[in-house]
Amino acid sequence: MKTLLTLLILFFLSAALHAQDIKISGKITGDENAPLNGANVVIEGTIDGATTDSTGYYEFETSRTGSQNLLFTAIDYSDKRQTVTLEAGKPMELNVRLKKSVVETEEIIVTASSYTSGQNSQVTITPLEIVRIPGSDGDLFRAITTFPGSNQVDEGSRITVRGGDANEVLTILDQASLYNPFIFDDDFNTSSYTTINPWGLRGINFSSGGFSAKFGNVLSAVLDLKTYEMPQGTGGFLWLGLANVGLSGVYLNQKKNFGATVDIGQTILEPYFRLNGYLVDKYDPIPLARGIGGSISYKPSTSSNLKGVFDYSKDKIGIRNTSPSYDGFFNSGSETVFGNLKYSAGLGAKTFYSMGVSYSHHTDDVGYGILNTISKQLYSKYRLDVTHRLSKKIDLNTGGEYEYNEDKFDGTVPQYSYNIGNNAPRFDVNSNTHSGRVGGYLEAQIKPFKRFFTIAGVRTDYHTLSKKSVVDPRLSMGWKFAKDMILRGAVGIYHQFPRLEYYAQSDNFNLKPEQASHYILGYEFNKMEGLFVFRVEGYYKDYKNLVLRDTTSFLYTSGGKGYAKGIDVFLKSTVTNKYSTWISYAYTDSKRSQYNAQTELPAAYDITHNLTFVASYNISDVITTGLTYRLSTGKPYTPITGGVYDPNANAYQPIYAETNSGRFPTYQRMDVNFQYIFSLFGRFAIAVFQINNLLNQKNLYDYTYNSDYSKRDEIVTTNKRQFYLGLGLQF
Amino acid sequence: MNKITLSAIVMLLFAFLVIENAKADDYTDAMTKAMKKMGEAADKNDKAALLKSRGDFERILQLKKNEWMVNYYLGFVDYMLSRTAVEEKNNDDMKKYTESALSLLDKATDVKDDFADAYIMKMAVQGNRWQYEPDKMNDIIAKTQEAKDKAMKLEPENPRYYLVDGYMTFYTPESFGGGVDKAQGMFEKSWGYFKTYKLKDETYPNWGNDQAAGMIAMCFIKNDKKEEAKKWIDAALEVKPGSGFITGFVMPEYEKMK
Repeated sequence: MKTLLTLLILFFLSAALHAQDIKISGKITGDENAPLNGANVVIEGTIDGATTDSTGYYEFETSRTGSQNLLFTAIDYSDKRQTVTLEAGKPMELNVRLKKSVVETEEIIVTASSYTSGQNSQVTITPLEIVRIPGSDGDLFRAITTFPGSNQVDEGSRITVRGGDANEVLTILDQASLYNPFIFDDDFNTSSYTTINPWGLRGINFSSGGFSAKFGNVLSAVLDLKTYEMPQGTGGFLWLGLANVGLSGVYLNQKKNFGATVDIGQTILEPYFRLNGYLVDKYDPIPLARGIGGSISYKPSTSSNLKGVFDYSKDKIGIRNTSPSYDGFFNSGSETVFGNLKYSAGLGAKTFYSMGVSYSHHTDDVGYGILNTISKQLYSKYRLDVTHRLSKKIDLNTGGEYEYNEDKFDGTVPQYSYNIGNNAPRFDVNSNTHSGRVGGYLEAQIKPFKRFFTIAGVRTDYHTLSKKSVVDPRLSMGWKFAKDMILRGAVGIYHQFPRLEYYAQSDNFNLKPEQASHYILGYEFNKMEGLFVFRVEGYYKDYKNLVLRDTTSFLYTSGGKGYAKGIDVFLKSTVTNKYSTWISYAYTDSKRSQYNAQTELPAAYDITHNLTFVASYNISDVITTGLTYRLSTGKPYTPITGGVYDPNANAYQPIYAETNSGRFPTYQRMDVNFQYIFSLFGRFAIAVFQINNLLNQKNLYDYTYNSDYSKRDEIVTTNKRQFYLGLGLQF
Repeated sequence: MNKITLSAIVMLLFAFLVIENAKADDYTDAMTKAMKKMGEAADKNDKAALLKSRGDFERILQLKKNEWMVNYYLGFVDYMLSRTAVEEKNNDDMKKYTESALSLLDKATDVKDDFADAYIMKMAVQGNRWQYEPDKMNDIIAKTQEAKDKAMKLEPENPRYYLVDGYMTFYTPESFGGGVDKAQGMFEKSWGYFKTYKLKDETYPNWGNDQAAGMIAMCFIKNDKKEEAKKWIDAALEVKPGSGFITGFVMPEYEKMK
C-alpha cells in the first residue's frame, strides 16, 4: 500500500510540475548570421520543440527540467547539439548559429588544367554535356578538346597537349593505364574514336600539367577516369544511329551489392557515307568497327568493393590513297583487349587502399604498297594505392606499381619512306622488345590554414630495359585569397620512358627517359559553385632528353630538347537554367628538337592560337540545341620543295624543307546539333540530329604530291559537312 | 519474496507498460495532429505553415528514430516546399527541397521497401530535377521509371499512383506521349480506386481524392465542357468540403470559361 501511495504522490507531483512549463526561445541563424526560416529545435527524446519563422525566431514550452540536450537542425546545415539545464519557472533564451554542411557532389569533374585537389573549385562538365557538345559526336576525348590546354586540329579523338604529341597524354581508368582506347586510329589522327562510354563514368579529371606524383611515366597530361563502383540502377539503352548501333544494359541487384553492365556496338557506315556524298568506292573495306565491353561489381561489405572491367574492340578500314609512288588502298586494322580488376577497401576509418591488376593487348596491322606490318603491344600493370588521414589537416597518399610492356613488330618496310611502289627497295623487320617499370610515390596533402592547401610529393621510377631510374619531386599550392578567388601554382619534374619502338632502334637500349619541368601559375574566379568560372593560367615547360634521330647512324638518341610556354583562358557561364556556354582560348609557343627535327623547330602540335566556343540552349524541357565553333592556327608540317631523280630506285626522291617549317591554313569549323526528348512505346526516347562542319570548311591535314614532286594536291579533312541522325531508347 | 516487493515489481512493470503505451500513443497522437496541420498547409499552399509542419514531423522523429512513415511525410512536405519555391522562382530552394525530399523518401524505402506511396511520391519529386539539372536526363528518366515500376508492382490499385501518373501526363504535350485526354483516363482511374481504397492505419497517406476529381474537372475545362467540369468540381467538394485545391486552383480556371 505504501508503494502505491508513493507512486500516487509522484504522479501528482509530476502533474503539478506540468503546470510550470518552461519557455525556451531564441534565434537560429546560418551563414553570415542570416536568420534561418524553417530551422528546427527539439529536446532530444521528446517532441517538445519548435520551428523558426522567417526572422529565425522560435519559442516553445516544455515541462522537462534538469539537464537536457537541445538539437538544432536545418536543411543544408550541420546538426548542432547543446546541453542546457532547465529550471522550473525560469525561461531560457538561446541563440544558435548553424554551419553549412559540406555536400559531396557526385558531379563529373573536368578541369581545364587541374593542380589536383581543390575539388570544389574545379571546372565541371557532366556526361550529358559531353554528349551534347556539337561536333564531339558523343566522344569523351573530343569533348575534352574544347578545354584549353588540349587542341583538336586533327579531328580525331587523340588529345594533344601544349605542342607535344598524343603519346604524352596518359589515360587512366580506375588506376589502369589505357593505351589504346581508340578505333580507327591512324597516324594522322583524323578519324579515331574512343571506346570509352562516358555514361559509366563517375569522375573525369583532365590535367594538362602540374599533376600529382601518383601519375608516373607521363610527360604532359593525364586524363584520370573513374567509373561508378556500382551501376546506378537496372535498365537498358538502345541506340540506332545513321552510322552506328549500340545496345547497353545495366543491372543492380536488390541489395545493391552486385551489379553488371554490358555494352555492344557496331558501326554501319555505308548509309551514312551515301547520305553525305562520300564516294563509297573510295573505301575498301568500308570502315567497320565492333566492340563489346562490360563490367561486374561486387560489394562484399559496406567499406569494400571489387570491380572488373573488360573491353574488346576490332576494326578495319581501307582508304583509297594516291602517293607519288603508289596508288591504292591504305588498309589498316586493329584489335584491342583490355581488362582491369580492382579491389578497394577501408582499413579502419582513416585508411583506404585499393589495388588493381590490368592487362591490355593491342594489335595493329597496316598494308599500303610494299608496306606490310603487324605490331603488337602488350601492357600489364599491378598497382597499389593507400590513402591515410593523418590528421584533419594532413592526408598521406602512397603507392607503388609494376608495369610490364612488350612490343612486337613484324613485316616489310620500305627502305625509303617515300617509295612504296611494288618494286621499291625494302627490308624485313622482326623485332621483339620488352621492359618492365617499377614505380612508387609518396605525397602529402596539407591544409595548414583554412584557405590554403599544398600538395608535396615525390615519385621514383626504374626502367628495367635501359636500367635507368628517375626521381621526380612535385609541388602544388592553392590559396583562396578572397571570396570566390583562387590563386594556384605548381612546379614539378616529369619523366616518360620512350616507347619500346624507339628503344628497338637505339644503340644498346641506351635512351634516357624524356624529361619535362612544369611551371604553372593560375588565377581562378569561381562564383556560385561553378555557375560562373573564369580561369587564366600561364605555364612554362622545359624539355630535355627528347628522342632524336641521329642523322649518321639513323639510330635514336636522347639528344633532343625544347620548351613550351603559353597562356590558357577559360570562361564558363550558366547564364540561365536554359543557356550555358564556355569559351576556351589558348596561346602556345612550343619548339623542340625531337624525332627528325635536328634543331629547335615548332613542335608537331604547336598551335599558336586556339579558340573554342561552345553554347547550349534548352529551347524547352524537351528540345535542346547546341553550337560549337573552333578557330585555330594551322598545324605545322614539313613541306617538300621538289624532287631529285634517283636512277637506282627509278623514282624521285623528295627534298624536304626544314621540319615543321610550313603551316596549314587556319582551321575553322562550326558544328550544331539538336536533341529532342519524347516518348516512344511508353518509354523515354531521345533523338539527335547534328550537322558537323556546317559551313563546309575545307580543313587541310596533309599534302600529296605527283611522282616528281613538282605538283602538290591537298588532302582535306574527311569531315566535310555531315548530317547525322540518331535515336536512343531507354528501356 | 514478500508480498510488498512482489506488488512493487508488478506495479513497476505496469508503470513501464503504461509509459511504453503512452509513448506509442504519443506517436500516433502527434502524427495525426501533424498530419492534420500538414493537410491544411498543403491545401492552402502556405509556405510558413508548411515549414511549421515540417518541424512537427522532424520532432516526431525523436519518438521513433528513422521511422519510415515520418520520413515519408517529411519528403512530402519538402516536395510541397519545392513547389512553392518554383512559384517564388527561387531555384536554390527548389533544388534544396527536392534533394532533401529524395533523400528522405529513399530513407523511407530503405527501411520499408514495400511502401508504395513512397515510390509514388518519388515519381513526382524526380520530375523537379528537370528544372535544375536537365543534363542528368538519363538518371532522371531511369529513376522515375524505377519508382513507377516499383509502385505499380506493389500496389496496382493505389489511387495516388494514377493521380501522379495523370499529373505527369497532363503536363506532357501530346506529341511526347502526354496530353489531356490520356491524363483524364488516369484521373478517372484514380477516382475509381479512391472509392475502394482502404487505409492500413490512421497514419497512412490519405490525400488526393479531391485532386483526382478536380483534375478530371480540369480536363473537361481544357476540352471546353463546362457542365461536366462543374459536376466534377461538385464531386471534389463533396469528398473534401472547402478544398483549397478546388477553390484556389480549379475554380479560377473554371470561371475563366465562357
